[in-house]
Amino acid sequence: MKIELTDIKKSFGDKVALNIDSYEVNDGEVIGLVGNNGAGKTTMFRVILDLIKPESGVALLDGINPAVSEEWKEYTGAYVDSGFLIDYLTPEEYFSLIAKITNMTAEELENRLHSFKGFMNDEVLGQNTLIRNLSMGNKQKVGIIAAMLTRPKLLILDEPFNFLDPTSQLLIKQIIEKYNQDTGATIIISSHNLTHTIDICTRVTLLEHGRIIKDYDKTTHKDIISEIENYFIENMKKDE
Amino acid sequence: MNTYLTTSFNLDKKLENYPAIIRKWKLYRLVNKCKNISDRRHPAFEQNRAMKWLGYLGAILWACYLIFFGVLIGTLDNGSIEIFDYVNGGLIFFLALDFITRLLLVDTPAQEVKPFRLLNISSKFLINIFLIRRTTTLFNTLWLFFFFPFGLFSTVKYYGLTGLFSYCIVLWMIFIVNGYWYLIWRTLLNKNFMYIIIPLLMYTALIYIGVFDDKYTRMILGAEHTQPLFWMFLWFCRWALEINPLAYIIPVTVGIVLYFVNYKIQYASIYREIAEVQESKVKSREMALLNRFGVVGEYIKLDIKSIMRNKVIRQSFISGLTCTIILTLCSALTPIYDNNLFMKSYISMYCYCALAAITLTNVMCPEGNYIDCLMSRKESVLALLKAKYYFNLVMMIIPFSIFMISVVCGKSTIIESLGCLLFTAGLVLPGLLQMAVYNKTTQPLNVKLLKTGGNSKTQIIISMLALFGPMIIMYVLNLLFEEWAPWMMGGMGLVGILLEPIWLRNIYNRFMERRYSNMDGFRNTRNF
Repeated sequence: MKIELTDIKKSFGDKVALNIDSYEVNDGEVIGLVGNNGAGKTTMFRVILDLIKPESGVALLDGINPAVSEEWKEYTGAYVDSGFLIDYLTPEEYFSLIAKITNMTAEELENRLHSFKGFMNDEVLGQNTLIRNLSMGNKQKVGIIAAMLTRPKLLILDEPFNFLDPTSQLLIKQIIEKYNQDTGATIIISSHNLTHTIDICTRVTLLEHGRIIKDYDKTTHKDIISEIENYFIENMKKDE
Repeated sequence: MNTYLTTSFNLDKKLENYPAIIRKWKLYRLVNKCKNISDRRHPAFEQNRAMKWLGYLGAILWACYLIFFGVLIGTLDNGSIEIFDYVNGGLIFFLALDFITRLLLVDTPAQEVKPFRLLNISSKFLINIFLIRRTTTLFNTLWLFFFFPFGLFSTVKYYGLTGLFSYCIVLWMIFIVNGYWYLIWRTLLNKNFMYIIIPLLMYTALIYIGVFDDKYTRMILGAEHTQPLFWMFLWFCRWALEINPLAYIIPVTVGIVLYFVNYKIQYASIYREIAEVQESKVKSREMALLNRFGVVGEYIKLDIKSIMRNKVIRQSFISGLTCTIILTLCSALTPIYDNNLFMKSYISMYCYCALAAITLTNVMCPEGNYIDCLMSRKESVLALLKAKYYFNLVMMIIPFSIFMISVVCGKSTIIESLGCLLFTAGLVLPGLLQMAVYNKTTQPLNVKLLKTGGNSKTQIIISMLALFGPMIIMYVLNLLFEEWAPWMMGGMGLVGILLEPIWLRNIYNRFMERRYSNMDGFRNTRNF
């Protein structure tokens, strides 16, 4: 799915959260958004998902403006924060609810959950525990799985490595990469973990104070991690 | 609450040089100040100016009402028994009303301790501070707006101004004692919701047995000893007017006892209030019956699970259900409203919509906790609203079944009951569901510390219209059609039910138009 952002501006009070002249994500790309806290990563996600209204500009998902049509919701999966979880359900009930409202059969649901078996590590299903009583890591897993359950053409994950143990971080990297290869879906993730992000993404976009500072393509930039680290080091020196 | 923690962080460093007593006094002042700031800066109140001003206006109106009634009753000539004796004898009514009014105060000291737990202040000291705050709160002087003017016009001529002041001071102490009793009950209620029946039974029994004089009370107490509570309060208030030391000693003693009972209960409740380990295992029920209703069935299941698993939602549902059952039993089985057809059908309508009036005025507020989940699925809010409508329709079976008893007894007709049911289903519920467009404050699902900012101006108007609008329609129908009114009500309701896809879609479209502002509100009030 192709995403186009044009002249997007969003402020909270005096603070400019997002100020993007033009940004495009092509079909099948895996994009990593990196940047310090308050850079505008989550705001960008919320604009794409029509969860906040920008003051100006438009976001298009395959040419559809998410603010005027709900069709895009059928092929988009996202996990941004706990506001995406219904925490008084068990993980099974939550997955089942999503399956039923998206017309999945019980068999399809079972097969798809089976593909996440290793990631869930016997700690999510069969526990008879409400999502609100799960650990932060397991809540994160539930959110990520729920976003991927419907096999969306566009997958948006905000900080997917947060709260996960090292094994689960490696597993989710593999899952995301394989999902992109199998489905050709467009994937956008944000993370503070530069290594993981650069490992799995085909393009890395650096955001700062709501603006796109640099867009790194893996095919043209060989050492993205050093370039980004150097940018942050120089910024620190300026601040000092 | 976190907004003021930074100001009180270095408490001991600042205070360590002071003597213990001064240090404690300064700590008291500081915590007190923090609590006042906390109330003023609460996100829900900051966000909601309309409610705040309405609150101030309400308080002024209450005070004016009380003064008015105080003057009015104080100037009455009651014949053989002095009016002040008569009112003082019925003090238990005021105490019961005071208790109900205190339901507005939801925090207990055990809950208030939470934000201070990591500071270097002992919990025991904090509990003492919060209990003392309950003594000094202006709320305890509320009823003096009635008793002072009342006493001024009825007692001064016998006991002078000093008697009046003594009377007011003693009453103030009595209401403080009542506040301490309320606090004990409120803390126990957090432990088990069944404690709700204690004040209901206690005040009903005290008022009936203690104040009324009829054949039953004579049977219970004996003909010589009826109205014991009436006479007790009558003499007690006379002591207060006469400045008898006993009038001071009794409330002070009871107050001290209740203070220490409160202290023990509050201290024992701290850990339960702030760190109770929730039940971690749940039984998952399939509710297969609802599977045939597709997506709407799934959202009905979600609603049922929300009631079963979320404390706040469950309490609101139980309150609504209790209200429905009590109101329906009174209307169906007693002759209270039999003489007036309009009142009869109006109360019947409230029997049908009592549950919805309590739960649907907050529609979408619990969903504010997971609004992003709903908004990222196509038309899920529409299906959710449909589910809520159907669920409330099904719940109407309860009052309808109770009304059937009165139909069988020949007290009312099935058409009257059916007319009210259809009228509520087709007109009142759609009105209440309009709140989905305007509600934008997230309701905590499972916390004990419940403090909502109330409703905005629009919300108040919409809920008033939904509840009182039908009253006008019903009045006109009863006036014009008399015994045919239930048929007309039923017909209008049926039209409303049949038009459900249209008005529900209209609510959804308007909700979507306001979605950014609503989502913003839900996010800002989540987890505060």
